[in-house]
Amino acid sequence: MPYLSEIQHRRVIEPNGDEVGKLADVAVVPHGQFPAAQWAILATPNGERVLRWADLAPEIGHFRLRSRLANTPDQQLPAEALRLARDLLDKQIVDTHGAKVVRVNDLQLSEVEGQLRLVGADVGVRGIFRRIGAERVAERFAGIVGRKLPRGIIPWHLVEPLQSSDSRVRLTVPHTKLALLHPADIADIVEEMTADERVAVFEQLDAETAAEALAEVEPEMQVSIVGDLDEERAADILEEMDPDEAADLLQDLPEERREELVELMEKEEAKEVEELLTYPEDSAGGIMTTDVVALAGELTAAQAIDELRVRKPDPELTYYLYVIDKEGRLEGVISLRDLVVAPPETKLTAAMDPHVLKVLAETPKEEVASLIAKYDLLALPVVDAQGTLLGTVTVDDVVELMLPRGWKKRSLRSIAR
Amino acid sequence: MIRTATAVRRRARLRRASIAAFLAVMGPGIITGFAGNDAGAVTTYTAVGAHYGYSLLWLLLLSTGGLLVVQEMCARMGAVTGKGLSDLIREKYGVRWTIVAMLALLIANGSNVVAEYAGIAASLELVGVQRIVSVPAAGVAIWALVVFFNYRIVERALFVLVLVYVAYPLSAFIVRPDWESVARGLTIPTLPVEQAALIAAVALVGTTITPYMQFYIQASVVDKGINAEQYRYERVDVLLGAILTGVNGFFMVVVAGAVLFPAGIHVETAADAARALGPLAGDQARLLFGVGLFGASLLAATVMPLSTSYAICEAFGWESGISKDFREAPVFMGLFTLLLVIGAVVVLLPGVPLIPLILISQNVNGLLLPIVLVFILRLAADRGVMGDAANGRATTLLGWGVALLASALSLGLVAVTVLGR
Repeated sequence: MPYLSEIQHRRVIEPNGDEVGKLADVAVVPHGQFPAAQWAILATPNGERVLRWADLAPEIGHFRLRSRLANTPDQQLPAEALRLARDLLDKQIVDTHGAKVVRVNDLQLSEVEGQLRLVGADVGVRGIFRRIGAERVAERFAGIVGRKLPRGIIPWHLVEPLQSSDSRVRLTVPHTKLALLHPADIADIVEEMTADERVAVFEQLDAETAAEALAEVEPEMQVSIVGDLDEERAADILEEMDPDEAADLLQDLPEERREELVELMEKEEAKEVEELLTYPEDSAGGIMTTDVVALAGELTAAQAIDELRVRKPDPELTYYLYVIDKEGRLEGVISLRDLVVAPPETKLTAAMDPHVLKVLAETPKEEVASLIAKYDLLALPVVDAQGTLLGTVTVDDVVELMLPRGWKKRSLRSIAR
Repeated sequence: MIRTATAVRRRARLRRASIAAFLAVMGPGIITGFAGNDAGAVTTYTAVGAHYGYSLLWLLLLSTGGLLVVQEMCARMGAVTGKGLSDLIREKYGVRWTIVAMLALLIANGSNVVAEYAGIAASLELVGVQRIVSVPAAGVAIWALVVFFNYRIVERALFVLVLVYVAYPLSAFIVRPDWESVARGLTIPTLPVEQAALIAAVALVGTTITPYMQFYIQASVVDKGINAEQYRYERVDVLLGAILTGVNGFFMVVVAGAVLFPAGIHVETAADAARALGPLAGDQARLLFGVGLFGASLLAATVMPLSTSYAICEAFGWESGISKDFREAPVFMGLFTLLLVIGAVVVLLPGVPLIPLILISQNVNGLLLPIVLVFILRLAADRGVMGDAANGRATTLLGWGVALLASALSLGLVAVTVLGR
């Protein structure tokens, strides 16, 4: 099983044994699970020559051309071709299995059914030693200490090359594997990328996945991503986000950009977000979501259940169902369990618990967090001075405030990498 | 209700606007300039002024110009490629050269960490705290700070301590230096060919253009997400940062040259260095100098190990980030901890003189600077990497001039040392 570093720079000789140059690179088209080596790039005294890989026959220590170089036709590399040494070696790739960004130390090639194929990326320390010609030495040294030199090879079908910032390479099947990951993993990965690569990822994911991933990204980076995305696309993603998260993000944008984006969003989503934007960031109003299940008090239990069937609320919104009067004022709360076990004809006003703990929109978020913690709540309704239900703060909106400080994920990358 | 909401919104907007303005001013260039004023810088500038008067000011002027040229390149590379310096070195030059560059960075920064600890020890000794207490305490504090707390808040607080350095420009006007000699020192290059003078010269260049600052500024530009279009504005920030470094160095040399040089005071301890502030602060000079040195050293002692670990892990593709633990990011956490420990241990070796130790560390920086410069110059001129933003002819020429100056001084020092003059 050869590695790229072992065959790169090998001598290439003509059938009669004359050296014509060295193997500079191998090119593949990155389709399929394990792409086949299709072209060889030779470094000759007269510059680079692109040949078909099949024109070369591997022999021990060198490659022999099947016919003279002068008689071997030049090939044209298609735009989607990937040159292994130039485009992959030493570059960062995404390990979609481990869900992280790693660096390619070497590339593993393998003869499969008579064809040399790219089968894996070596991202381990062994690859580094091989590149400096010290694999054996390192192996022996590790042996003395009684350890094995670890292998760190990611099978190629689990690898996702990053879009290169120099436009020589444009991958034709980009980021399809990324989309299969959990949004939180995608977020971790894009945090490791350059700004261009990030934008490329967020342009290609579907809006819903993009929204979920964006919500998991660090706030500062969210701003730069939304700042760099095309406006239409940014607005589409914002619509898919929870209104409170979208509002938080918009709050950090320059005013002009913010107004532009809100303008481009669907009316309904834009209205919710705009409402949220009127509250200061660190108040109950600033962190609440307006997505809330509010049911009219005069409904019967059966009608209320029918209504839920129609609305299909998100699971995290069904912890508590809020009961409101005709003016939208919060009257009480009822749990899903109590609703289900109540006799079908009971009015909600009769079945609900009228003693509902609530906060004003202006309440500082620390206070909200301590109330939620103290009373073991999953969510806390937010009302205005008239008692009108505005939204709810769920436990995951304040969980960061309740953790010990060291827990919070910090962004320290700017202390230089 | 509506009125309060509008008021709240306006207030929030005002607050955000001022934060935005603050961040816009405190850009990567200025922060790098600040961070560059560490224990090594304070000590070197003071020693140069005390031992050679104003006669090496010309070299400071050249170094500041060089710093500007090189910082501009790194900031531009960050903006154009969106990648850090070690990232680019690895992608362009492969494993072998990356190992060379990273070793140079590791040694230079390792010696800086030693210097910062020496700075912490020296400044606290001024107020009577023994280094056997102060150094381990500082090490543990820094480690805990970075691993468990929000480092940024502390960073801001330490910046405030560093502001104590305005004492130098103030002193410069109180001590009334002979501005004519200052002007002569700035414009007429003289350098005695002897080991001590070459050590001072290499330290001066090495502390003004540290290898570390180049990695730092590029990473900051990348992290701020400054792109090629916004880069025009970033240039101003880079210029201000370089000027800040230069002006700061200038006043330190001038004050030391006016106060310590005529008195023939050789800077052996922090107390000697503090005497430069005597005309301004009188009996409080030690305290004033100590506060500045302490803030600067602690700040750099925190940033330096982190910055080094990030750069090295980035180059080799190892997991990094302080929110990770030893199992997730073994190399990163290991390097970070190792640098802190080594720095502390060296300073605690019995009988180590602190000020000479700091000066030596800046020599190490100066000696390794040419290696890092060559990588920067070649990358910034590479059209494959930089496209149309690659170095033009003038920038290339200036850049190689800087590299040549740094190399000539380093080689000179090595030659003189080997020949034993």
